Amino acid sequence: MARKQNQGKYQVVWPRGKKVVERTAPARRLESLNGKTIAELWDFVFRGEEIFPLIEAELSARFEGVRFLSPERFGNTHSIEEREVLAALPDRLHELGVDAVISGMGC
Amino acid sequence: MRAAAVAERAGIPSVSLVCQGFAGQASSTAAGLGFTHLPVAIMPGHVNMQSYEELKNNILDVTVGQVVKGLVEEQGESTGPDPEPQAREVVFTGSFEEVNDFFYAREWSDGLPIVPPTIDKIERFLRFTDRAAQEVLGVLLCDRREATIWNVAVNGVMAGCRPAYMPVLIAIVEALADPKYGLEHSGNTPGPETLIILNGPIIKQLGFNYEQGALRDGFRANTSVGRFLRLYLRNVAGFLPHKTDKGTFGGTWRVVMAENEDVLAEIGWAPLCVDMGFASGDNVVTIARYTGGDTIANASGASAARIMPYIADAVLRANLGWHLTFTCGMVVGTLRPLVALSPLIAGTIARSGWSKADVRQYLFDHARLPAHEFDRQLFQYLHGADHPLRTLEERVRLGEIPKLFCESPDPNRRVPIVLSPDDFMVAVCGDPSRDNAYAFSHNGFIGYPTAKRIHLPKNWESLLREEPNR
Repeated sequence: MARKQNQGKYQVVWPRGKKVVERTAPARRLESLNGKTIAELWDFVFRGEEIFPLIEAELSARFEGVRFLSPERFGNTHSIEEREVLAALPDRLHELGVDAVISGMGC
Repeated sequence: MRAAAVAERAGIPSVSLVCQGFAGQASSTAAGLGFTHLPVAIMPGHVNMQSYEELKNNILDVTVGQVVKGLVEEQGESTGPDPEPQAREVVFTGSFEEVNDFFYAREWSDGLPIVPPTIDKIERFLRFTDRAAQEVLGVLLCDRREATIWNVAVNGVMAGCRPAYMPVLIAIVEALADPKYGLEHSGNTPGPETLIILNGPIIKQLGFNYEQGALRDGFRANTSVGRFLRLYLRNVAGFLPHKTDKGTFGGTWRVVMAENEDVLAEIGWAPLCVDMGFASGDNVVTIARYTGGDTIANASGASAARIMPYIADAVLRANLGWHLTFTCGMVVGTLRPLVALSPLIAGTIARSGWSKADVRQYLFDHARLPAHEFDRQLFQYLHGADHPLRTLEERVRLGEIPKLFCESPDPNRRVPIVLSPDDFMVAVCGDPSRDNAYAFSHNGFIGYPTAKRIHLPKNWESLLREEPNR
């Protein structure tokens, strides 16, 4: 039995662990998508092969000069290689001149 | 969200496409990744259940607008973290019932009564390790919290473990923290549950059940250690239903499955820990996630040749559909089906002159399905006709998958569900007097089998003698 202290009460501690994540501000947003390069990051499930083309077509109609880089350029973001894909991602995004990312699919 | 977070840290704005019911998980996940908020673009309903026209209308009417908004509207600064207690800080004082209400209200409890984690009880657990209380075993997603020897003990107390179980608990958390296991995927919708498999002399030393009822509650060691893992996923990893744990149904924690090493020694088969790279006689935990499984009832016969066809069929059935995506779908070669054989079955097979390797080879040769059926299940069940995933034949031709998946162009050729016989895992436990087995449905890289040695403190034997009612 746990030792009861203070007139039959239990003094208990927190079951969690220290959070070590660094609070980060989101990146600055773009003023417009005109002329921007947008990377598509995908986990290759949940009909991305249909959704991304729909988004591309609509954004191309709304914004002049917007271009898209397909998910195959970056690798599967939810696979056994996820850690490697994400580790290489910043350099890859900068190398390709990416201005924005659309990442899917959270389903 | 993890990919989006990487982009944001690289200074590139992102927006994440999220089905309607997953916005909460997205928000909780973003917080765990260090962002007060990451923009999402909602896809109404669930994309899997919509015709193309419905999908198109939803994307154009709702999602695209939010994509634009997410990329051009400033998101505001991140707020600082909420203050949190220190490890030894008393967060509450109350009666047994009050403590339980306090913990339940904060989602620190699984709904069953917890043993109040007082410092004196925790310190009793700490006696069973030589490691410092503040030692960090890893940083666990999704909440990015430190797994420490201290909070292992805290959750072990809460789960109703005995202090002597501490070395096992530490090894379990080390396995959770190993990147190979894939802890970060523990909130996925199929909701698989972790199985802890135990090997070594510690089974008997701590009174783990390995005989009849091997997967049943009622045995303190098996039950409380299984509960500990789920509490730890909740409190330190941060997986909570309705937030970061999106298991559609989920499952509850599994009791520890300990192997019957007496029988294994009698029949000359190595324990499962040897297959995981350790030696016979080592104390080892192996963890992996399974979506479910099924009893293989009445696997009878006087020989391996009579028994094994039924076993192979059952192992195959348990690992079809969704599981094939771990063979040659979403990823390649991460399916590791597990079958638990009762000692009666294992003994009968061994008396036929079969080794465990022979069992695995048989499963590799016979737990197969026609290639056209493999492709049909992948494309019809799991991925649409336009998915970039190709057929087995095409992928072999392109060198993406091993040739064994297309040794002939015959669509009826039978293809395996794993890449190698060694991918099958075989354990021995359960009622020694009955001819039942159990086939587990493995969840691939999302809970990949990961084994860790259990390290005992220097004065283990004397501590065991001192600890009452272990």
